[in-house]
Amino acid sequence: MTAATVLDVGSPSSTRRRSFWRYWRGNLKGSEFAWALAFSVPYIAVFVAFVAYPVFYGLWMGSDPALYSDVFSDVIYQDTVVNTLVFVALGVNLKLFLALLLSGVFMRPGWWTKVMLMLFVLPWAVPQLPAFISLHWMLNGEWGLLNNALWILGGIEGPSWLNERWTALGAAIASHIWKWTPFWTVILLAGRMSIPQDIYDAAKVDGATGLNRFLFVTFPLLANLYLVLTLLATIFLLGDFNTVFFVTGGGPNNETHLLATLGIRNAFDLARPDLGVAVVMTALPVLIPLVIILMRKLRTAEVQL
Amino acid sequence: MSMRIAVSEPVAVGPRSGSAGRRGRVARRWRYANSAGIAVLYAVMLVWTLTPLYNIVMIALEHEGDVYGNNILPVQPSLDSFWVVFTQGYWYLEHFWHQFGNTVFIAGMVTFLVLLIASMTSFTVGRMRLRNGWLITNAALLTYVIPASFLAIPFYLIMNRYGLANNPWSVIAALVTFATPYAIFIFQEYGRSIPIELDESARIDGASPLHIYLRIYLPLMAPALVAVGTYALLLAWNEYLYQFLLLSDKRNMTVPVALAQFLNSDQAPWNYMMATAIIYALPPLATYYAFRHRMSSGLTMGGVKG
Amino acid sequence: MALYKRRSLLQGSLGFAAAGTLARPYIANAQAKTVTVWFAQGFVEDEDIALRKAVADYEKASGNKVELSIIPFAPMRQKIVSAVTSGVVPDVTQNNPGEILQLYAWQDKWIDTEDVVETQRAKYSQTALKAAQAYNDVTKKRAFYGVPIRGACVPCHTWKSLVEKADMTMADRPRTWDAYFDFYKKVQDNLRKKGERKVYGLGFQVTANGVDPANLFNAFMHGYGGQGIVTEDGALNLDDRIRTAAIKACEYLGGAYRDGYVPPSAINWNDADDNNAFHAKLMVMDVDGTLSTEVAVKAKHPEWYHDEIVTDGLLYPTTNDGKPVTSITGMTNAVIPKGARNVAVAKDFLKYFIQPAVLREFNETGLGRWLPAMPEEAKTPFWENPKDPHLRGYVQQGLLGPTTPDYYVFNPAMAEVYAQHVYSKAMIAVAKKGSKATDAVDVAFREIKEIFAKYPIKQS
Repeated sequence: MTAATVLDVGSPSSTRRRSFWRYWRGNLKGSEFAWALAFSVPYIAVFVAFVAYPVFYGLWMGSDPALYSDVFSDVIYQDTVVNTLVFVALGVNLKLFLALLLSGVFMRPGWWTKVMLMLFVLPWAVPQLPAFISLHWMLNGEWGLLNNALWILGGIEGPSWLNERWTALGAAIASHIWKWTPFWTVILLAGRMSIPQDIYDAAKVDGATGLNRFLFVTFPLLANLYLVLTLLATIFLLGDFNTVFFVTGGGPNNETHLLATLGIRNAFDLARPDLGVAVVMTALPVLIPLVIILMRKLRTAEVQL
Repeated sequence: MSMRIAVSEPVAVGPRSGSAGRRGRVARRWRYANSAGIAVLYAVMLVWTLTPLYNIVMIALEHEGDVYGNNILPVQPSLDSFWVVFTQGYWYLEHFWHQFGNTVFIAGMVTFLVLLIASMTSFTVGRMRLRNGWLITNAALLTYVIPASFLAIPFYLIMNRYGLANNPWSVIAALVTFATPYAIFIFQEYGRSIPIELDESARIDGASPLHIYLRIYLPLMAPALVAVGTYALLLAWNEYLYQFLLLSDKRNMTVPVALAQFLNSDQAPWNYMMATAIIYALPPLATYYAFRHRMSSGLTMGGVKG
Repeated sequence: MALYKRRSLLQGSLGFAAAGTLARPYIANAQAKTVTVWFAQGFVEDEDIALRKAVADYEKASGNKVELSIIPFAPMRQKIVSAVTSGVVPDVTQNNPGEILQLYAWQDKWIDTEDVVETQRAKYSQTALKAAQAYNDVTKKRAFYGVPIRGACVPCHTWKSLVEKADMTMADRPRTWDAYFDFYKKVQDNLRKKGERKVYGLGFQVTANGVDPANLFNAFMHGYGGQGIVTEDGALNLDDRIRTAAIKACEYLGGAYRDGYVPPSAINWNDADDNNAFHAKLMVMDVDGTLSTEVAVKAKHPEWYHDEIVTDGLLYPTTNDGKPVTSITGMTNAVIPKGARNVAVAKDFLKYFIQPAVLREFNETGLGRWLPAMPEEAKTPFWENPKDPHLRGYVQQGLLGPTTPDYYVFNPAMAEVYAQHVYSKAMIAVAKKGSKATDAVDVAFREIKEIFAKYPIKQS
């Protein structure tokens, strides 16, 4: 308050300053504005100290154009782009679609559904490193648990899952889905539960059950959430390196790398961090639009509601 | 979002016809088929979810920790490895409980700071309507433009510049950085379901923003806080790369980093590794089960709100 | 403490005493006397205990403080790369992985260590001395950047029990290269006849993951008389002798896989998978670095260590025409990064650490997984123990017999050849894609030439 009074006694420069502050202050009172600033300072500090600085450093590391001709001429990189596209397309969509369906299943009443849910979220809680290493062993063609089980229970000689590019990539995608579907299911379950029961009741009166109810009541309500989750899942998945790193190791013959694992390989195995960053930078043309869409979703939603 | 359109669609399904008896029979048959279908689905889900976990348990129970063999049941199962972990009876695990404590400390601080910082930010932007506050939320999302695994080297550098090398706070800073944008995002969306009029009437009554934040905003945001808290806790609990790069000392290591010691050698007692993993997974599970009811609506985003 | 007789300590402590009385401001910063040291975690607990003891002894003797970080072995490279890239470095680190010494020497990232090596120069093996040097592309000179600590080579490990299960005996094994490995194919054939469904004769790491495949391929190149793909002054040599050996190696390794004598999953193994399979007795033999295969089981299965597993060191196979095969010995070195805060104390510490008695204690407590870097240190009761079935052969193969450093020592281009898994691609082409070995080797050599073109070394 006092600050505002002082500013009102105006030289031209303080008028300019005043309008500047008034612009930022909006319709907040002086003390409220001070509070608002105080409340936003912690995050701004985190952002400046731990986001802006490392991001610019990273961009600087990958800024030499010569790196990109190295990257694009690498045969492994070309395979990797295809793998990443497949991994994102299948990984994100299967995962979220499963999560959407299963979240519906978990809405059912009954104790066994509750038990199922409890078991189902287990993979989310298991630490990544041992979980993926165990999957790598389990999928071993000769001595892994999966093929042992197929042989003992069904007399089937299972394939060597990790020996061919596409089965190995499939195994990695399946592992990713196994580990992360519970997380997204829990979110979508929360989304479904927040739909007021009276909407369902009204729909029931109107005769909407089963598929109709899902198509015309539930899904339209969840659509926005689902879209936002798809964007987030895509962004998170592009940064996931644990799955492929431990399950397939990028093999056989470096045929199942993702941008994230190839970047880590270049950075550390070849001791070329700049080359690693350059690999990931090539995902920016995809990532930046995704982030922008996400930003817009956030703002339009605000207007709409 | 218009509720009217969504709900009015099914009305077009039209008048229902047929005798009540036939409808009952059909409905009953449909119910049986339905429960049979659900039973099959549950069975498939059980196999899918539990097989990899079973492999972990099997390795943990086996005496040798052999990961390859021709069996699908553990040979001579024993709980020895769990006992070894509990009593820190193997040298990779000699500081297990201390490291466990480190993890609890880091995860606890990360959870607390993420909740604090994100709720303060979303309060300013969403409730106080700070002009151009959206800049902050948009900037937060920029964090995700470069995947976290690639900021590791710059992060390592700046932590040293900040004098936080080999210090748990460097890990806390890193994890808070990556979890907060998501938290702000969720809080923003969830906050929309709380009528702004509540704040305004309190404001007219002369309540300070701090008072509104503490007495109105936080209590009403409780489900979202619980949900995001669980998210942050699990993130901190399971993260590996940053913890490995930023912590060097056996005494300030966390459990995921200690697990990496098993990759130390070509032949490790994998049964101990898996037993550690199982014990380590219990606290987050317990947290999830404890809070799952309160979580139910917490992760909801604005899209669902009518 | 008694071990520490070197003048550097006296000078050091006198220096500090003098500085303390005369020039106090120079040591006002207590950090100046502290060194940070990174070392990879040992394979058995005793290794770490021995390291800690050596450090504690040094601290007591010198009054300096050592901040020791013992880091898990496999991911240590991430830490070193991050440190060197960002410029925030420890005072001393182990070169883990080995080639990091030469890769970063090329970029002028290490401090010259000749004065440290000099203190024990006469005692080191020639291989150790060569491996501690590297070419610096900034100064255009080869110089000492490493301080040798220990070594390791790549022996052949065999399950005697599985050979006997196939109704054959270890004494039947031929001693020449092809016949030696063919023997295991016969073992597998016999085991199949006896109904062993999933036991394989040869555990070749025909994979493009980790360090094992390059070690394996090099061993076979040498077995076929093809040592010297890089000369000691860093030039690439792809003459007919080398090419013929590479083709034979590619054909034997890839061919064994193609013909079903190698576990199919070997195509995507990581460095631990072959050990896991070997310990589960699912393959009869493997060619794998260090003595870890045996040492790992010593405590739990003394009968395996003493009776069932055979390491071929003394009886390492010869070339097909009966000549001894040169073994590649990889060396562990300590390096001092540029930007280290306290080079003087770092060097002082290393001079202490490489005294023969200190190194002896450090290496021998590790159960012999690592070889000494000094031939005299192999003449100890530990290495000459007649009751130990493995150690004498191991030290013969990797230290006393004909040895050479790995090729990245002469030119870091070879480190990139390994990291790009050029040899693996050739083996896999033969193993899985039906390529002829000559074509696969042509492709590989083309790629190797391209890589070497990026690392020109001026020849004197």
